[in-house]
Amino acid sequence: MGYTAQRIVVGNNNTYNTSLKSSSTQLQEVTVAMDIKRNPRELGYSVQKVSGKEIQETQRENFVNSLQGRVAGLTVTPTSGVAGASSSIVLRGFNTMSGNNQPLFIVDGIILDNQTLNENSYGGSGIGLASDLPNRNNDYTNRIADLNPNDIENVTVLKGPEATALYGSQASSGSLVITTRKAKNTNGKVLINYDDNFRMQKITRFADVNNDYGPGVNGVPTAPPLSGQFTSFGPAWPSDTKKYDNLHNFFRTGFSQTHNLGLDFGSQNSGFRLTGQYFNNEGVVPNNLYTKYNFKLSNNTKIGKHLTITSSIAFISSDNKKPIKGISGYLLDLYAWPANNDITNYQDAKGNKLLLFNSNYNVDYDNPIWSAYHNTSGDKSNRYVATLGIDFNPFAWLSIAGRFGYDTYKTDGYLLTHPQSYLLPVATGGSLDNYYRTYKGYNHTITATGRKEVGKFTGRLLVGTMWQDFETQQFGVVGTHLIDSSSTDSSNTLVGTRNRLLRNYFGLPNLSIIREIAYFGEATIGYNNVVFLSYSHRFETASVLPKKNRNYNYPGASLSVIISDLIPGLKTIKFLDFAKLRGSLASTARLNDPYSNQSVFVNNQSSSVVPGFTYGFTNANPDLHPERQRTYEVGPELRFLDNALTIEAAYYNTLCLDQISQGYRASYATGYVLNTGNVSSLRNQGLELTLTANPIKNKNFNWNINFNFNHMWSKVLTLPLAIGIKNDYYNSDTYLSGNVRGGLVRGYSTGTITGFGYQRNNAGQILINPANGLILLENLNYVRGDRTPDFTLGTLNSFRYKNFTLNFLWDLKIGGDIYNGTDYFLTTLGKSARTANRTTPIIVEGVLNDGLQNTDHPTKNTIVVSPYFLNTYYGSTSLPDEEFIQKDVNWLRLRDVTLGYSLPSKVFKKIKGMKSLSVFVTGNDLLLITNYTGADPAVNANNPGTNGVGSYGFDYGSPPTPLSLSVGLHANF
Amino acid sequence: MQFRITKSLFFISVSGILLSASCSKKIDDAYLNPNAAVVEPIETILPGVIVAFTAFFSSAVTGYGVQADGILLGRYIQYWGTQTAGENYGQMGGTGSSDNTGGIWAAVYYGQGQNVNKIIQWGSEQEKWDYVGVGLAIRAWGWLELTNQYGDAILKQAFNTNLQQFNYDTQPEFYDSCRAICFRALSFLSRTDGNVSQKNLAIGDAYFYNGNVDKWKKFVYGTLARSYIDISAKDVFKANNYAYADSAIKYANLAMTTNEDNAMVKVAGGLTSQVNNYFGPFRGNIGAIRQSAYVANLMSGLNSGAFTGVPDPRAWYKLRENKTGVFKGLTPWLGTSGLTTNDYPQNFWGYTNTAAGVYTPSSTSAPTVDSSRYVYQNTSPWPLMTASEMQFIVAEAALRKGDNSSALTAYKKAISLDFDLLTTTYPQHIPVANQISLATTSAYLANPAIAPATGLTLTHIMLQKYIALYGWGTHQTWIDMRKFHYVDPDPATGRQVYSDFTLPIGPNLVATNNGKPAYRCRPRYNSEYLYNVPELTRIGAIDLNYITMECWFSQAK
Repeated sequence: MGYTAQRIVVGNNNTYNTSLKSSSTQLQEVTVAMDIKRNPRELGYSVQKVSGKEIQETQRENFVNSLQGRVAGLTVTPTSGVAGASSSIVLRGFNTMSGNNQPLFIVDGIILDNQTLNENSYGGSGIGLASDLPNRNNDYTNRIADLNPNDIENVTVLKGPEATALYGSQASSGSLVITTRKAKNTNGKVLINYDDNFRMQKITRFADVNNDYGPGVNGVPTAPPLSGQFTSFGPAWPSDTKKYDNLHNFFRTGFSQTHNLGLDFGSQNSGFRLTGQYFNNEGVVPNNLYTKYNFKLSNNTKIGKHLTITSSIAFISSDNKKPIKGISGYLLDLYAWPANNDITNYQDAKGNKLLLFNSNYNVDYDNPIWSAYHNTSGDKSNRYVATLGIDFNPFAWLSIAGRFGYDTYKTDGYLLTHPQSYLLPVATGGSLDNYYRTYKGYNHTITATGRKEVGKFTGRLLVGTMWQDFETQQFGVVGTHLIDSSSTDSSNTLVGTRNRLLRNYFGLPNLSIIREIAYFGEATIGYNNVVFLSYSHRFETASVLPKKNRNYNYPGASLSVIISDLIPGLKTIKFLDFAKLRGSLASTARLNDPYSNQSVFVNNQSSSVVPGFTYGFTNANPDLHPERQRTYEVGPELRFLDNALTIEAAYYNTLCLDQISQGYRASYATGYVLNTGNVSSLRNQGLELTLTANPIKNKNFNWNINFNFNHMWSKVLTLPLAIGIKNDYYNSDTYLSGNVRGGLVRGYSTGTITGFGYQRNNAGQILINPANGLILLENLNYVRGDRTPDFTLGTLNSFRYKNFTLNFLWDLKIGGDIYNGTDYFLTTLGKSARTANRTTPIIVEGVLNDGLQNTDHPTKNTIVVSPYFLNTYYGSTSLPDEEFIQKDVNWLRLRDVTLGYSLPSKVFKKIKGMKSLSVFVTGNDLLLITNYTGADPAVNANNPGTNGVGSYGFDYGSPPTPLSLSVGLHANF
Repeated sequence: MQFRITKSLFFISVSGILLSASCSKKIDDAYLNPNAAVVEPIETILPGVIVAFTAFFSSAVTGYGVQADGILLGRYIQYWGTQTAGENYGQMGGTGSSDNTGGIWAAVYYGQGQNVNKIIQWGSEQEKWDYVGVGLAIRAWGWLELTNQYGDAILKQAFNTNLQQFNYDTQPEFYDSCRAICFRALSFLSRTDGNVSQKNLAIGDAYFYNGNVDKWKKFVYGTLARSYIDISAKDVFKANNYAYADSAIKYANLAMTTNEDNAMVKVAGGLTSQVNNYFGPFRGNIGAIRQSAYVANLMSGLNSGAFTGVPDPRAWYKLRENKTGVFKGLTPWLGTSGLTTNDYPQNFWGYTNTAAGVYTPSSTSAPTVDSSRYVYQNTSPWPLMTASEMQFIVAEAALRKGDNSSALTAYKKAISLDFDLLTTTYPQHIPVANQISLATTSAYLANPAIAPATGLTLTHIMLQKYIALYGWGTHQTWIDMRKFHYVDPDPATGRQVYSDFTLPIGPNLVATNNGKPAYRCRPRYNSEYLYNVPELTRIGAIDLNYITMECWFSQAK
């Protein structure tokens, strides 16, 4: 039999087991998708599963973060290290340049929402904030983080075409199929389990700050009152200056506690399970608090011989309070703050911002602690998820399954800028954004599966239909001139200053609706349990497309050959137990955002006697058709040494055609600024390798080791004609520091960073201005870096020695560039460590731009520059963006480490009813070995709500991931 | 059992079909954008289009129109300069990698662009011929304004939503198109059938002409008059016994004749930027600029060749005095120009740091209470075209024709209309002692240094027009000055038309101009230089010295 439990867990909790009488392959069957049991031998594509236990052991409240390193080809990027931060998850690279690259989450057959709020409202016509921000000043939890990690039985990661082939265009970025824990048969008893976790968090890594110099310009001090206090290009602080450790004084020790309670009660035919979680996290940033309650009641009941009903209802309530990050946030203020000032002293006796450098509150800089408490945001969500599963198995050969789910939540949030903040002029009087979001998602999937065996042939035919109806409603209002400087109620703004989303003016919410009906089928034929061929086809109709292009369909096929059985000679190879070759290919589709085919009017609030309207920026395209993805995957699966060693490999190649470029720029002669069309294409390729070994296995000691290797590469093939060969296509949300942005250029990868660079001669030498000895800027947003790593390797070790377990996960990333925007910001202010040696005169390495630069004898630059007296040396025209892109950033992270100990029964037997008790210590991100010079390279300057590639690998004002250490216990009664 | 299954399958199939029919409807329902309309009443589209004359403002966008560009172009014609020595536009530099001087480009193609197209299209469908005429009038103004600022631009392929690259057309094609559209506009504005209604038009143009189609016609005639006077330096202007001069005079006389007719973009005023004047202290856009020494001297009677010895009473309206109550200014390429603090002019909002009791003329701030004058107030109406300007057109055309007496009459009328405009529209915040009265006006006009009974010259006309259009008419004044290559002599007198005007030279002229003054702007950077490169390469617009290429309108041939 030989199946490595760690890789694919046999669905032993599955409710079918009782209704389907065992066949010879019964115990091997796995559930990959659609709750259809499959023989693992037939799978023509790679499937990786992560057990719920593994996820829970990491003690990460956003379970998405626990997946990094555990699945080849899966990349998680947290937006920041604060409590309640969102995380992006991308499978096998970015398949769309301007659409959503996040996978679909399917929980017990039901699609659950994982939106992250995007602040853009596109002139009030979208579902962002009324202030229509570029999605970089704040973060909003990605909503799948609502899921209680303790409810997860396992997560199956569908990375390739099979995801779309079965789950449709919504899953064109892959899907995560999650099975939750089901009620157990407890023979009428109530089983209780409780576990808790107490965690401390600390920030240990910071940007490299120089605190040697005082305020001033070109070595000349500026006298108070200082509006340029933060330009630290003055003389060095006198040696007797008292300096403060502001960085450490700002961050606090984060603390969180988690309590989980589970009750199981069941008999042979019916079982109930009730779980509850309380999570509370005081983040490392002052005024950052994330609280979450989670309850779920599920039931499964078997009625008669043929019918099983599975139902559940879950309620999740979360509350997240978070200071504003990014460009205008506390972190950059903190780094820039003068070293001779104690940040802990930030308000006067009346509670006003303490004036330090200027007599005007709105000109004086915001103390970071003051900013964290007064420029804040927060949101509260209440979510309900109800699911119903019906399994009807009238015959052994036929099963009919229905999965019906309703997912809804309401989120109320705000974004407050204090009237005294320097972010706004005094006349604005502070600003307050409020939003009220409601999500309602209904979906169902109904399938009928027939199975037949004829001689050596096995056959399975699946037909099904899927209906999806997802609606997000949003009210948003922004106003200024706050009446009360701290109230976050929308009535706190001056009436005449309020702006709303377009439909809100009529008392209606703005909407974003996607509806889609699909019919699909899959036929699988197996021969002799050795060769399997599967063909699927899906027909879809989606509301986001114009009627003429609304109906589309696509095929998929896969082949699996057990060559070790087919060629008996192979079995004679020593050590080889099993060899399989597999391949799959599919053509799939991907949808545009709703309404991207209709040019609309937005508010124009210029002087008028009637509410005015003007066309928005976007030239929508009424002729859009779905994006197409053509992909294939091949690879072997091999097992050796009595299955102690398993190797799986996959090579995939995905061609994404007819990409819908949303918001690409062209001449304004279109009458618009941004345009839409099926005009781009790209190709993604990758090699994934998974190796699982069980080198030691005996009664007392077991060691499992699992490697997940991933190497992927991509190429942008075509872009809109309006984008020149040397120009980039970009999402303006990523255009957030200097001239750097996540721009895409033909012929390069999807991970490129574009920005300004050095002018160089034909030999690649930097050109120097003969007039001043400084560099010449190439002010062209061209490729200056590539964030794509050379490879990543996750290494998971699991040890068990008697009652002890020790699991740890190393996450290695080699290569890939990081943009250190924080360092750019600090350099221009004279606060970066790179400005420390400013008193040393230097000669910029390069050749003079004197007409000889492209001859055989260019003039070497010999002009001496004294940065101390010429601080423009540190300005953006002398140190171009390319200077701040750190090449080939590697890291080795100890992501998660858990030491557990199951107490012997004699310890707890005195406690009545206690069946087991274990304790654990878990560390997250305890160790980071990296050549990165900034704080943490694994951050994102936008959030996953930004479409396209976004700004992962852009380190700009995002707090790093803290180091966490937690202790807790598990108890069963 | 078998029967039951069959029955169930039948039932499932039937409900499946029903379900899919209802799904299909639900899918249809979800297609249309519920948040924003694909159609809005043209009455609600016109107000935004009108604001695009001056400073278009919609979500997160502002400054498309004459005002933002004017702040920069005013440095070429020395209306004003910034306080920074060597400032690019003060040195007649062009725009590199930025959207500066791209305001008209964005206003005409985007701010007005498709919005105007829809006013014309839907107005026609709804038989609102007045709206159709207004839409065409705005488009005609746009083409003329656009080509005069940028030279070649996109005309024939404009507003094609399916193109990703656009071809450029030449300036004469823009002039022809402008005039043709003017005549179409006039024919629609003359219609009274269908759903033409002053009341209804007033919904859309409440802050412009309040539904008065006759005034809109004058606006169109004004555009036509400009289209002829703008080519007055061309040889063709003399052809057929000055036929074009006759056209200029004819249309100027059909255009606005009183200040009541003036094309004025008004603002409602209030707490948001959208409803405040771009030049006002609330918006805070002109804090860094100061009047030029050239205009300050000209209006102080210090020009050696024009109005010498006659202080212009309008200086108290249009310019800002310094601490001693005298008008001084900057040389645009020199910044502060070495003026002492007390000589240094206040900014156009008249900011003085009263609290500290110190004179801080370099401040870019605004007083807490708006005490600005003229077009620099939060709620000032912004002239786009005035009766005074039209009379200057008549004066110039008549003088070129040799009709000196008509020229003098028009010239005096033009000055008088400008004085009246100040006293009627802009009397706010003028010190009592310096307010213009009827007597002031007549005394000024009676001065032979201003209006000589004989011997009226182009210098008189062009410099009085320079003063009359001060502040708001930057684009038109730039056209006028380019016709004279800034420093051309008047053939009649042999003296420089724009008397005493000097161009920056040597190190004060940006090196990339290769010694030449600026004659056009580069097309908008974020529209053309990034996204329409092949065509820019074809017309030679990639080079920075593209701005020194003289436009067709000012070339003799």
